[in-house]
Amino acid sequence: MGLKFLVVDDSVTMRRIVTNSLKNLGYENFIEASDGKEALAKLGIDKDLNFVITDWNMPVLSGLELTKAIRTDPSTEKMPILMVTTRGVKDDIIEALQAKVNNYIVKPFTPQVLKEKIDQILATA
Amino acid sequence: MKTLPTNMSSLFEKLNDLKTIFKFAEKVVPIIQSLTEFMKEVVPLLENINSSIAESTSKIPMASNQINNVTSATELATTEILDLVDEITTNLETSEKLLNDIILNSGSGIEALGKLQLLLKDKPEALKLLKDYQDASNHSKQIADLIGYVQRSRTDTYKITLSLQVQDITAQQLAAVNHLIQSVHLKLSALVDNIEQADLGDDVKNIKQHFGEQDHYDPNASYLNSEGRQEAVDKIILNQSSKTSQEEIDKLFG
Repeated sequence: MGLKFLVVDDSVTMRRIVTNSLKNLGYENFIEASDGKEALAKLGIDKDLNFVITDWNMPVLSGLELTKAIRTDPSTEKMPILMVTTRGVKDDIIEALQAKVNNYIVKPFTPQVLKEKIDQILATA
Repeated sequence: MKTLPTNMSSLFEKLNDLKTIFKFAEKVVPIIQSLTEFMKEVVPLLENINSSIAESTSKIPMASNQINNVTSATELATTEILDLVDEITTNLETSEKLLNDIILNSGSGIEALGKLQLLLKDKPEALKLLKDYQDASNHSKQIADLIGYVQRSRTDTYKITLSLQVQDITAQQLAAVNHLIQSVHLKLSALVDNIEQADLGDDVKNIKQHFGEQDHYDPNASYLNSEGRQEAVDKIILNQSSKTSQEEIDKLFG
């Protein structure tokens, strides 16, 4: 089964940029969510989703809270999670790692970095 | 009769005290008068300041709304740009496909010309004309160049898409500014509240609630070349993952 991404960001612009980048990398299968709560709902419905790319700062439910929720649910605990955020402070990165994100990208990102991180996650999955 | 002189002496002492007080009052009264004058002048000034603060405070929500409008407008404009970029990208993909089709189809034309050359091998004049035609109609180099331009344009449109990340970053910076403005609003509202001793409690509570809802931005968001920042992130991740866990350390010393 191929990869199906869930792209989570409250910014429409960022969702389009991430999905365009995925298309450029050859990935055609993805859906979007505008906050963590919507993402959890979509993960509950669509069992084909097998990769989450999420922002941190979002209303309703943040990317960090989303990660924690995914990790505590036995049906999604092994889900690869890539965080793409503006937060580049060391403490934030450590907090994200403690919440068990698989990798971390700071915005603005380049397609090379996105590819590299997806490949790294897939190689260790 | 000893009490009379004692009483008199006490009375004089008291009178002296009173005299001292009067002397002191003589000096103090002008000061109090000027203080009163000063207060008369200052109180309207304070009232002015208070009303200015109150007026400025009432304008802050408007400034905050303006910032939100700017964010919405830039998001809308960015979406329109992205729509156009997507359309251009689709057109470029179609152009590239068509150009590749031309190259593929030209193969059968070359084959037909080869056969024609064989048929005309005894007619040098016709062969020369055919060669001239071949030279004039061979656009393979130009088509290859065109494909190169189209591919470069596609790369450029993708770069434009990536540059639009600035909108999200700017939106977060504006949200941080908005938060600061609202903090100032809160302080000023409290100040006006203290001065007027008016009941602004509900307003202040509302503002506080509003702050909680707005807390989904990164005040340090920056549109810098992310290469160095990403390298720093990678280093932290590497250090964290290579750190020996406490459990492993405990095992060593167990």
